[in-house]
Amino acid sequence: MEPRTFLQRLLARPEFGPFVLLVGEIIVFTLMAPSFLSTGNISNLLAFTPELGMIALGMTMLMTSGEFDLSVGSVFGFAPIIMWTLYNTGATSLEVGFIAGMLMAVVVGFANGWFVTKLKIPSFLVTLGMLLVVRGTALYLTDGFPQGRWSADSPLMDIIVGDFYIGQLRIFTSLLWFIFFALILGYILTQTKFGNWIQAAGGNASAASARGVRVARTKVILFILTSVMAAFAGIVSSIRVSSANPNSGTGYELEVIAMVVIGGTALNGGRGTIIGTVLGVLILRLMRNGIVMVGVPGLAYNIFIGAIILAMMSLHSWLERRHHAGT
Amino acid sequence: MVNENELIRMEHISKYFGRVRALDDVTLAVNKSEIVGLLGDNGAGKSTLIKILSGALRSDSGDIYIDGRKANIRNTTDAIAYGIETIYQDSALVTQLSIARNIFMGREPIIGPGFLNRMDQAAMNDAARDLLKQVGITKNIPPATPISALSGGERQAVAIARALHFESELIVLDEPTNNLGVEETQGVLRFVRAARDSGHSCIFIAHNIYHVFQVVDRIVVLRGGKKVADDIDPKTTTIEAVEKIITGLVGVTPA
Repeated sequence: MEPRTFLQRLLARPEFGPFVLLVGEIIVFTLMAPSFLSTGNISNLLAFTPELGMIALGMTMLMTSGEFDLSVGSVFGFAPIIMWTLYNTGATSLEVGFIAGMLMAVVVGFANGWFVTKLKIPSFLVTLGMLLVVRGTALYLTDGFPQGRWSADSPLMDIIVGDFYIGQLRIFTSLLWFIFFALILGYILTQTKFGNWIQAAGGNASAASARGVRVARTKVILFILTSVMAAFAGIVSSIRVSSANPNSGTGYELEVIAMVVIGGTALNGGRGTIIGTVLGVLILRLMRNGIVMVGVPGLAYNIFIGAIILAMMSLHSWLERRHHAGT
Repeated sequence: MVNENELIRMEHISKYFGRVRALDDVTLAVNKSEIVGLLGDNGAGKSTLIKILSGALRSDSGDIYIDGRKANIRNTTDAIAYGIETIYQDSALVTQLSIARNIFMGREPIIGPGFLNRMDQAAMNDAARDLLKQVGITKNIPPATPISALSGGERQAVAIARALHFESELIVLDEPTNNLGVEETQGVLRFVRAARDSGHSCIFIAHNIYHVFQVVDRIVVLRGGKKVADDIDPKTTTIEAVEKIITGLVGVTPA
């Protein structure tokens, strides 16, 4: 191993590509639309970004272990339906409703993990089925109608998604949750024994289990984590916009997976980065916001997202090949 | 019958794949600090026998004794718990992870309060550095290097280092020199001798008889699922004679 310079080490990091892309994006949008960096716009960005971001954090862990979850969008929509239906009908307090919504996510995550690890069905098929089951249940229970406006006054709402001001900047506590989860999950993935098991399970499952790594248990835990993060994000979102729509979260699964892979996590497992995912989340959210600010029709958004995914995947595969060229 | 010096005895092992008899009443014993070369043509049953020992396959009949006690090996985890480490051509490593993380995979040391589950990465790196030296890697490879950046021979060395660290009593090497260059092959043979010198036993399987002859204490030959030779001393036998036994041109078993 020849000694490497600081710059070479920096270039070799999987987060470097997304970091450059994010900086470039901010510069371009700021030059084209100076109001892009206004406090109002930043407040807007920071309101919604943590919600998708929290799902992406869970998905990063799961994808590092070699699986993914298409049912997150439906869990995002269904968890607040459970909470608010229980509360609005007077069946329980808001807190108990919250716990019921989260328990549903645990059950869904466990079921996903059980089908994938015990019955050896690919996670694509299992979570596609679960997506339909959960979404269908949400629509059936609500007759397809959003849960009406409520007048809840619970400290839980402030804890989950209260807001405060830093100068002109309006910040929701969901941003603090997002940062908190990013730090915790980043620590778990890189510093802990469990994190090593996640990467080993995704990198070479048979080699890992031959060494005593409990691959199935690790994956089940991560399916539950991902599902719980999606439910929490859904509840955050419903409180912030004062509405629980059985259709909300539709299509989030693919946007979240796009955020994760743009950040540098491998689609087929073994390599994952929480820092990269935070960058990937920002890249896509800023893109959606910035495109509208500079006057591109909002409907053209997907063209840019698709192009970014293709460009980032090309960059990753090029770096990968260059990395292996010497061996 | 009981041999104080005996580490492992596989007794009367038979295995069928459908109606094909892959192994027919094979008995194989390995002594402590002994390197046994297992030879045979393609389809002779070498791999099947080794997969039974390493827990990847179960035999249809026969028993395995370790240190004189009957062992029940149901899967690869059991085999590792009994101190049997199998190193395959592809070494069963996670290529994305570092050398240190691979060596300690599944048994990572923890530092600090248990609930933090924090890996002791400094201790892992230190131990990995020492182990790499022990198996004869003189190049200065940082233990944080991912496996994907290593050559085939270096990967074998990492697998052997792992076996040494966890005090496996028997290291099984299945075709460890396939696809390796001359230099790297010498390296692997050196690791095998180093392992024996530190008190480990080895079963060495290779197509290349020359490699086997350079390193083993005793040669066992399988042909058509049966053991046809058990006690060939590479110091007093020629390669040509062993080749004849493998191909069946001479059918006698040397006593």
